[in-house]
Amino acid sequence: MDQARERVDASRKIEQAVGVQMNVIRNALVLLDEATLVGILHDEERFTDTLARLEEAASPVERETIEKIRAAERQLIKTVEEIRSLVRADKADEAMALHLNESQPRYREIATLITRVVRSEEAGMVQLRQNVEASNRRAVLLMSGFAAATIFLALLLGFVISWSFIIPVHEAGRFLGQVARGNFGGTIDVPNRDEFGALAARMNAMSRELNQLYEHERTLNTELERASKAKSDFLASMSHELRTPLNAILGFNELILGEIYGEVTDELRVPLTDIQNSGKHLLRLINNVLDLSKIEAGRMELALGDYSVQDTVVSVLAGLRPLAAQKGLDLVSAVPDDIPLACGDAGRITQCLMNLVGNALKFTQQGRIEVAVDLRGDVLHYRVTDTGTGIAEDRLETVFAEFRQADATIAGQFGGTGLGLSITKKFVEMHGGRLWVESELGKGSTFSFEIPLRVDRAETA
Amino acid sequence: MSTKTILYVEDNELNRKIVRDLLRRTSYRLIEAVDGEAGIARALEQRPDLILMDLQLPKVSGIDAVRTLRSSPATADTPIIAITSFALSGDQQKAKDAGASAYLAKPYSPFDLLGLIRKLVPETN
Repeated sequence: MDQARERVDASRKIEQAVGVQMNVIRNALVLLDEATLVGILHDEERFTDTLARLEEAASPVERETIEKIRAAERQLIKTVEEIRSLVRADKADEAMALHLNESQPRYREIATLITRVVRSEEAGMVQLRQNVEASNRRAVLLMSGFAAATIFLALLLGFVISWSFIIPVHEAGRFLGQVARGNFGGTIDVPNRDEFGALAARMNAMSRELNQLYEHERTLNTELERASKAKSDFLASMSHELRTPLNAILGFNELILGEIYGEVTDELRVPLTDIQNSGKHLLRLINNVLDLSKIEAGRMELALGDYSVQDTVVSVLAGLRPLAAQKGLDLVSAVPDDIPLACGDAGRITQCLMNLVGNALKFTQQGRIEVAVDLRGDVLHYRVTDTGTGIAEDRLETVFAEFRQADATIAGQFGGTGLGLSITKKFVEMHGGRLWVESELGKGSTFSFEIPLRVDRAETA
Repeated sequence: MSTKTILYVEDNELNRKIVRDLLRRTSYRLIEAVDGEAGIARALEQRPDLILMDLQLPKVSGIDAVRTLRSSPATADTPIIAITSFALSGDQQKAKDAGASAYLAKPYSPFDLLGLIRKLVPETN
């Protein structure tokens, strides 16, 4: 662009120079000044230089015009030389005539030609400017397009990249949620070949492993449940089978003692009573085994109903009084008359008291056993206190465990399976209550339990 | 008044013998049945004054037998003592619901049973 402008300037300069030269010649002729004419001839060199510069990078049409200008110039120079000779010879009129006839038209020709070059150069410049503007516009358009494409690509790439993170993370989250809910069988589907893909593959492996472990555990559990049920069923049927003949033994023995079959001598009455007491004890033990098997199998249910606390205690004492009398122990009760009708499983509460009083009788060699009940608010508080051997403090916790007695040697000394307390504890808990013991070695023990006066079905566990 | 008749429905022979021996020195007359079906038949045919019904019976269960007897006009008002098993809690409620007049849990004392019988159907001399 700069070069084009320079060319336009150069051609204008020539245009101007030609005009100036024409005037200078005329003035020189008027003044007959040879020196000026010589200057013009010297100027010619500069003029030719400028033309040569213009000729560089000129179009063919221009070049032709420039050639014509050069020819006209040569002709002009010749004319000016002749004018100069005429001036030197003082032939002014002839010189003027030559100027008017030859050099002036020649100048005009040159001027016209130069004007043409100037026009051409100017037109070229306009064209160039238009071209430049067009290419500027194209460049802007191209740049904008490129920028838009770049932004779009960047957004697309960002979107793809972020979703390539979000989708697998989301999938992983959903999958882990499934695992957390205990559904180990599922798999995660992440097709990425990156770290996410590797992570998903690990998760699937973990899931398979978990599923296998879970299945294995379930199989074991099923087997265990089956074995446990088989055990419970066996205990239930065995204790039932044991009870049937025992019922007959106890029934006939009671008939004998009732003298249905004839008079019973005092001498005979003693062993018959022993049979009766031992038989009842055996029955209690069998019932405990049966109850425990039912509790373990989850088939134990309370039969709730109204019952009299006073009657319950009386029946327990009546059942165990012969045994107490045999050991020479006092068996007393302290139950207030004003305790209202209670609601619970009377059979099970009787069984609990029978177990506690039975234990007290077993571990007490002398003294007394007291069964006391009192009502504190809505809670019935049962208490069985003995003056027996007592339990060492560090063994208090173990007495309620199944098949345990405070001292393993006790089983040999006193007999029993240690089932009574654990069953009693469970019955009390089924009533929504609790059982505990306070004891001092050598002084005796107090077993207490408290249950709601009226047990709702909702409270039973 | 005539002799009171007691029907004892029980599948175990020894248990029947105990009650048989228990009532030997009383004026009660004992008739027996070994299963629920036979028990219902004998009750409808003999019209006893009292029925002792064991709940664990072959063929027709004691509960069903009590229900059947209650729905028959001939035995609708006959006192029925249900002999429930100690092992099965809930039997007492079921027996009551079926229409039993009283219940006695096994194992029971024979003399307790006699007391209950005498309360429901006094002996005649």
